[in-house]
Amino acid sequence: MTTNRQTPDPVTTEIIRNGFIAATEEMKTNLMRTAYNMIIYEALDFTVGLFDRHGNTVSIGLGLPMFIRGMSETIKAKLRHFGVDGIQPGDVLLTNDAYITGSHLNHMTFSVPIFDGRHLVGFSACMAHWQDIGGTLDGMTTDIYSEGLQVPIVKAWRAGVPNEDILSVIRMNVRLPERAMGDLKAQVAAVRTGEKRFLELIGKYGRPAVEGAIEAIFDHAEAVSRESVSQIPDGFYEAESFMDDDGVDSGRRIPIRVKVSVAGDRMTIDLTDVSVQVKGFYNSGETAGLSAAQVAFKCLTAGLELPVNDGAFRNLEIILPSGRVVSAERPAPMRWWMTYPMTIVDTIFKALAPAVPTRVIAAHHADLVIASINGRQPHDNKLYLYLGGLIGGGWGAKHGEDGMNATVAINDGDTHNGPSEQVEAKYPLIVERYTLRENSGGAGKFRGGLGTEQVVRARHDIMFNAQIERVDCRPWGLFGGLSALGNEVRLERGGIEERFPTGKVLSQKIEPGDAYTVCSGGGGGFGNPLDRKLDDLSNDVRQGYVSAEAAREFYGAVFDAAGRIDRDATASRRADMRRRGLPKDQPFATEDHSSWGGCPYCTRLLQPHPEAQAMAGEAAAAGISRWRCC
Amino acid sequence: MARGQLRIAADVGGTFTDVAVFDEVSGEIRLGKTLTTPASLIEGMSHGVSKTKASFADARLFLHGTTVAINALLERKGAKTALVTTKGFRDIYEIGRINRPEAYNLFFRKHRPLIERALRIEVDERMDAAGEILRPLNDSELEAVAQRLADEGVEAVAILFLHSYRNPDHEIRARDVLKRLLPHAFVTASHELSQEYREFERTSTVAANAYVGPRVTQYLSEADRVLEKVGFDGKFLIVQSTGGLYDASQASRECIRMLESGPAAGVIGTRELCAEMGLSSAIAFDMGGTTAKAGVILDGVELTANQVMIGGYAEGLPVQIPMIDIEEVGTGGGSIAWVAHGQSLRVGPESAGAAPGPVCYGNGGTEPTVTDANLLLGRLAPDLFLGGEMQLDVEGASRAMSERIAEPLGLTVAEAADGIVRIAVTQMANVVKRVTTARGLDARSFAMVAYGGAGPLHAVLVARELQIPRVIIPNAPGHFSAYGMMVSDLRRDFVRTFFSRLAEAPFEAFDSIFDEMESRGRSEIEDAAPGRLDVAVKYAVDMRYVGQEHAVTVEIPGAAFKTRDVGAIKAAFDIVHAQRYGYASDDELAEIVSLRLSVIGVIAKPQPAHLDAAAQELADAALIGVRPVEFGVLGGCLDTPIYDRAKLLSGHRIAGPALIQEYASITVLPPGDRLVVDRLGNLDISIEA
Repeated sequence: MTTNRQTPDPVTTEIIRNGFIAATEEMKTNLMRTAYNMIIYEALDFTVGLFDRHGNTVSIGLGLPMFIRGMSETIKAKLRHFGVDGIQPGDVLLTNDAYITGSHLNHMTFSVPIFDGRHLVGFSACMAHWQDIGGTLDGMTTDIYSEGLQVPIVKAWRAGVPNEDILSVIRMNVRLPERAMGDLKAQVAAVRTGEKRFLELIGKYGRPAVEGAIEAIFDHAEAVSRESVSQIPDGFYEAESFMDDDGVDSGRRIPIRVKVSVAGDRMTIDLTDVSVQVKGFYNSGETAGLSAAQVAFKCLTAGLELPVNDGAFRNLEIILPSGRVVSAERPAPMRWWMTYPMTIVDTIFKALAPAVPTRVIAAHHADLVIASINGRQPHDNKLYLYLGGLIGGGWGAKHGEDGMNATVAINDGDTHNGPSEQVEAKYPLIVERYTLRENSGGAGKFRGGLGTEQVVRARHDIMFNAQIERVDCRPWGLFGGLSALGNEVRLERGGIEERFPTGKVLSQKIEPGDAYTVCSGGGGGFGNPLDRKLDDLSNDVRQGYVSAEAAREFYGAVFDAAGRIDRDATASRRADMRRRGLPKDQPFATEDHSSWGGCPYCTRLLQPHPEAQAMAGEAAAAGISRWRCC
Repeated sequence: MARGQLRIAADVGGTFTDVAVFDEVSGEIRLGKTLTTPASLIEGMSHGVSKTKASFADARLFLHGTTVAINALLERKGAKTALVTTKGFRDIYEIGRINRPEAYNLFFRKHRPLIERALRIEVDERMDAAGEILRPLNDSELEAVAQRLADEGVEAVAILFLHSYRNPDHEIRARDVLKRLLPHAFVTASHELSQEYREFERTSTVAANAYVGPRVTQYLSEADRVLEKVGFDGKFLIVQSTGGLYDASQASRECIRMLESGPAAGVIGTRELCAEMGLSSAIAFDMGGTTAKAGVILDGVELTANQVMIGGYAEGLPVQIPMIDIEEVGTGGGSIAWVAHGQSLRVGPESAGAAPGPVCYGNGGTEPTVTDANLLLGRLAPDLFLGGEMQLDVEGASRAMSERIAEPLGLTVAEAADGIVRIAVTQMANVVKRVTTARGLDARSFAMVAYGGAGPLHAVLVARELQIPRVIIPNAPGHFSAYGMMVSDLRRDFVRTFFSRLAEAPFEAFDSIFDEMESRGRSEIEDAAPGRLDVAVKYAVDMRYVGQEHAVTVEIPGAAFKTRDVGAIKAAFDIVHAQRYGYASDDELAEIVSLRLSVIGVIAKPQPAHLDAAAQELADAALIGVRPVEFGVLGGCLDTPIYDRAKLLSGHRIAGPALIQEYASITVLPPGDRLVVDRLGNLDISIEA
């Protein structure tokens, strides 16, 4: 055999690549199995990764996509802070500075430098969501200081010795210190595992081969990205969408405008015209804006190519001036950082839809649909925090395929909901319903996925907070597909149902026997609903994904006496609807007058929006509205 | 031959049906292999038995592993099935856990339920987490449901009510009413299979049981008929995914317990082989045409898992019952090697499968596979494959390797072939790590038992990768699962979720749960037993630190419960947690999640005949040829002696490089490694340090 080729050879590179993927998978499993809070072990709200000595991502475990930049940017900041010479073997570097991590203070980000002898060869890192980091428990925040403990870049361990001062500051500032310390232990164990596996690869193949393989992994990912982008027609693409509001100025829509240009094998994503930072806690640091652009890019170019690494983004330029809602400046509040970036990702898909119709997807429900509950256990009066909701929603339809039902939003990946049987065993709550939401998917030749609905009844006093977006601004369709139903929050107190025009329903007291409902939106449709195959439509109706009424209104179906679709009558009704420009899209809940769209307003508004209320009143007076709940 | 002296095992796999016959008097083992006949599995099986010249009429025990249940699931060829469930929860089966493991794939797909939404019917009943009735079950509502199911022509019904793990009364009543009103349907309730919390997983489990139920029942009754016809009057036992056996009447109620019978039997075979050889721990490594699997024997016991995803993690359906803990990777002889973007060499996950198969099979395969790479390295003989029944096309394989891999990457054909095998080996090493390192076990302190058609070909290379010092290739590695069936025991497993702080453990309630499990287990073992058996009972609990979610299963001596020894239980848990996750905490509170109990009816093991002792260590008498074999980084191309395994005797020693050829497999012994044939005929290999 000849060996006169340059190192590393493709075989060793492939073996090392498999080694990195296996190592990050192992780190992930390790943390998931040992964590102390359900946001880590069940929601899998964490990501682990291995990085080169400059902090570039070599491999990220498949946790939350929107953490794609967080750890790398944090390691780079730590390197800047301490300098290469200021970092020793045995150090554990920590921060939760939201302006660096691009998320919120709950994300404690640990990294350890990896030394081969005296040589710094890389980093192992982990960011994970702690259940509590202090700060106000209920309601809205308007600056970072009310959101909890900020830990600047520090060494939680110095050369192997725990920094007890820092650890005790943390213990004193969080509500559940035992859980927090358990999670801390689990995170440090996970990064140590990564360190060990990295060093094993070096032990086996030598430092030059591993460093060479890392370069080859980057180069390969770059080649894949360039080839993929070069297939996109050159041009300038843009799109606009809206968030409902910032939670402070209720009902005032927030614009999300993105511009994408493609030239040869390079892409530029320009987020300059995304809204400036807002008053409520929906801001995030620059890292989050960069992540949103990279997530969209990765999904469109090579979603299945592993490991996820920084080589894949060498042909992507991101323009993001500071002061935007995803590049906010101190002291902007950031507790609900993850919401807006999801809609930015969908908007990038929307912009590129004309260029790559077979790669994109219609909009999804774009929110985690979380209910933050706190209360006291009836048996010992101890505080508990329960992350309710997280029910999964509809995803957009795409070329050739319906959207997926009941799946977690794009901020998250391998995130699980919690079993209702577990919720009821742990908390004084009864989950009354957890179902698919009929008619919630956007109509289309390919139908958007269905959202879900969860009804939870309290057996004891609780405080309820929902920070849900995209209630008014619904997930849009593509290529003639219609918008889906948006997200929604309802309360039932004293036997009376309350509906809200917004998903920001904060600091609500719920008493025994009262219930809350969270609904997730569907996914947008793809293609004209009048083109949907009748076999598919008939199955939709049989399964109850689409009601017979909606099948008539949006798909032009005509049913015979036996309830079967009449093919001939349907064809002529469809032709007639086409002539009349039907069905009409209803992109905003506040403008929706359909009989099945739910009631976005009623007289029992928490923060009644004058305009909305007036409109609702007018519509009702004119007899247009059949959707009153009140 | 006297009646009742044979023990027959038949493992019906996807491609082959393997039969092993053990003569309890002479100690002789005979083997047969026939192609699986999907249309009539039973017929293929009895054909396989007759090929060994054995007769069912002489058998005392017939042990059977079958893919009938798993195939019905994977091929979606089960019954028309309905789900009857608690009001508000009919969609839980479709919603699942909402996760999206392929986080950047916009074209991801969720699991597909086995029961359509239109046949998932809610009834107005409800328990709470303490098992207290919030809304009583109404029989007249069930009667209306039964009518609707009858109208729909439903063949099977799954019942899942919330918190039935805590109080199964409603499920029992619903099952009884629906059975009475739908006498021809297969009716099954979740608590009969799993009394663990997690409603989605339990729904999926009971739905799968219902879905395969009618087909499995029919299969078992056909088997009974055939067995009767051929004069069999012994005990017919089926292998479960735990590797334990159960009888046909249990199997026709709890069908999904047989899902992974073949792979499980291989691990049981490893356990018994270890016992015979005096080994306490081993890795079971099984490699076939499309997958490689690994399991672990630790201190004489096979490691088990409490849940498995049928069809893979991303899109699979969970089944929440105890099974042998087996990790799997889609690397096999058929895995295709390819060049990604002109510069990277990849192996799998695409497989050439059985059709068209590797290029060298000459059945139209064009993409080079791991098998082609082994052929080009000289490790497979073109004229000795399957005992010479199939001639391999070296030239075709070489051409494909050259055009598709070697030239684009600037490698020689030998370098490319060696690289492909090395990559496949690291992938398989990673799967072994998932059952060892990832569970806190040090692979270097284990021996590896390798079987399956392609296992012996790669085992030593995988062992070298992981610094495993010793590899054992058992007799007839291609029939090892059938062997495992022959050495298995009757087994019943019970589990019940019962959340409780350890410090406040209600031991009296535990006692009554354990007693109930044990007496049920004993009577079921008695029903299935071929005569009187020794019965063993094993206790375990799923535990975690307060605040954690994932629990670990800890085996606890029964006495610790009897004496209420909280300290001993906690200590046992701390040890397991420390081993598995690297830390434990004396002062942290622990919590019990579920109680487990297994009842085992021990069946006497066959005593195989010993091999004749060799007169000398040198194995020249078994030498059948010499050919050049490429060992790559392990020594380059070397003239390598080839031995016929059938001619090896106890005490023969061989030093690598060498190949040991047998009917359906070949063992590769690289330079530096040494092999000795033990008295049972196993190839016991020491890896160069």
